[in-house]
Amino acid sequence: MRRRSLRLRLLVTFGLGALTLSSLFASLTYFGVQHLLVNNRQQNDLHQTYANAALVRNTLYTSPPELANLLNSIQNATSSSVLVQTHHQWLSRSIGASTNDVSPAIIKAVIAGHAVEQTIYAKGRLIFVVGVPIPAVETQFFEVFQLDSLNHTLSTLLLVLAAGALLTSLVGISGGLWVSRRAVRPLEEVSLAAAMIADGALNTRLVVTRADREVQRLTESFNQMVSRLVERLERDARFASDVSHEMRSPLTTLATTASVLQQHREELSPAAQESLDLLLADLSIFQSLVEDLLEMARSDAGAVPLVIETVPAIELVRQSVRSGAQRHGIDEPAIEVDAGLGEPLVSVDRRRFERVITNLIDNAHRYAQGAVAIRLSREGQLLAINVDDAGSGVASEEREHVFERFFRGRAAHDRGIARGTGLGLALVRDHVRAFGGSISVEDSPEGGARFQIRLPIVTEEGE
Amino acid sequence: MPRILIVEDDDHIRTALRLMFEGEGFAVDDAPSGEIGVAMFSRMTSDIAIVDVMLPGMSGFETCQVLRAESDLPIVIVSARDDTADVVLGLESGADDYVTKPFVPEELLARVKAHLRRRPEKSTNAFTMGNLHVVPDEGVVRHRDGTELHLTSTEFRLLTDLASMNGKVLSREDLLERVWGYDYFGDSRLVDVHIRRLRMKIEPDPANPTFLVTVRGTGYKLVI
Repeated sequence: MRRRSLRLRLLVTFGLGALTLSSLFASLTYFGVQHLLVNNRQQNDLHQTYANAALVRNTLYTSPPELANLLNSIQNATSSSVLVQTHHQWLSRSIGASTNDVSPAIIKAVIAGHAVEQTIYAKGRLIFVVGVPIPAVETQFFEVFQLDSLNHTLSTLLLVLAAGALLTSLVGISGGLWVSRRAVRPLEEVSLAAAMIADGALNTRLVVTRADREVQRLTESFNQMVSRLVERLERDARFASDVSHEMRSPLTTLATTASVLQQHREELSPAAQESLDLLLADLSIFQSLVEDLLEMARSDAGAVPLVIETVPAIELVRQSVRSGAQRHGIDEPAIEVDAGLGEPLVSVDRRRFERVITNLIDNAHRYAQGAVAIRLSREGQLLAINVDDAGSGVASEEREHVFERFFRGRAAHDRGIARGTGLGLALVRDHVRAFGGSISVEDSPEGGARFQIRLPIVTEEGE
Repeated sequence: MPRILIVEDDDHIRTALRLMFEGEGFAVDDAPSGEIGVAMFSRMTSDIAIVDVMLPGMSGFETCQVLRAESDLPIVIVSARDDTADVVLGLESGADDYVTKPFVPEELLARVKAHLRRRPEKSTNAFTMGNLHVVPDEGVVRHRDGTELHLTSTEFRLLTDLASMNGKVLSREDLLERVWGYDYFGDSRLVDVHIRRLRMKIEPDPANPTFLVTVRGTGYKLVI
């Protein structure tokens, strides 16, 4: 299973972190301020209520008819509503005061002689109700304060804080973006370079920039590792090349003396003749092996430059098939050219291309009673060259591996199949890649294997 | 009995080659160095020579040049490497053919026999191209002023075979078969290098050939 990307995780972590912190901070601020403001206000209101209650009591003593005027002037002064009740009847109230704001529970408590205060949130309004008993005149005084203006202040504060939290989160996210870019980009560069190297671009190196120390160290060790690996590869290639070179002289002597023995075959005993046949058979395998190894070492070490020519593809394939078939004494497979192909040009090293076709035909001959047809068609800007056979095909789990050096699939273990060198298809792949092409194996229409070469079609004319 | 000169410094290979060619009915002169080979050649009349490229002292290429200066005999070089540069250098020193080690002895034998077999040439009518008059029956090419232009037998065959096609194209494979007598081995470079050498001799401007024309991707034709 693929893990989520590190970049995303960093981004989410930073974003969520910033959001959580800023929300926490905003809530603390909000509730702190709210508590402070409301408390303060209620304290003031409470004092005022007691003062007003004293005024009401005095007025009721001295000139009760003045009560209504007093209540209205209180309301004007404090922008609160005031109500006065006596013997369960509303005696008077200021203009606009609603008896509904005062709940029966409060009335009951005040009648019982307690001063009561209550904060009510009703119908979208925040009100603060204070009830004070005035036992001397058997009256209850209520004052209702609108906390709406406070509410308004608080909601403005809330808005500001929320905006702040949002902004902080955004800053967090962009911080995360920056950090992740800075942290992830070197990783991406390394993985890109590693992929290119895996694809054979051995000259790929990371650029050492004025980056963070850790990144710089990674870059340097990566480059060092690649250089070491390349050195190692070159040493191996040179070794293979040297070994094969050293084998050539003795091998030439062996092959030549064996053919001298062959000339004198009649003079040999039956046992000696049989031994000679074995010797000749294995010598020829040995010889092909050394030839293939040499060719491989040459292309590995890049010692022999490609001789690239731009040539008409159909004629090239035709000639390569003919010479390849003749070389191995095999019947020439038919060449089928798709009607839509036209006259494409390709850029190849002619000798190596011949080798590619020869090896594929030989492979089909060895494992599938020969190629049925070589089919040419166009795939966009690519020329597809299909070498099709009607054999048992290549098992899907072996398809990735048939182009590996010395890979022996199931087919190679079957009895009665002449041994190849194990390098033929590997050479094919190396050469095709050197031409900027690719090769794969799939099913042929005949149910056997299809080895498909794709080469870029050269559009411009001129040598 | 055909006579073959083998110049090869590796004792084992030289002895094995001598045994093989003797077994095939050749008279063999074998030399361990270029100097000895050249000396032997001037005393004997060899029909064909096999020269290894990597020789102590006088190199295989030099040996080739000396032999070529003295004779038209077919020379097959044995190259250590299959590098195009090596092969081209060898062919340009005057060799007609090359094999690379490790070679298949039967292949070398078949090539040697093919070179010897092709000696009598098919006759084509005499023809003129530019300032040159080619007379296949006599095996000579003359300038207009009557002086002879020297071509090796392989070059001459290449020219007359192309001429016999009356301007039609011959592929490299066709030429290998007709000129070298090979029906399955050989390498298109063999043809290319010989064509280049021939152009140097017969074309007024070898870089822009007008007679010996390349037909891209197909082969060569002679335009007279």
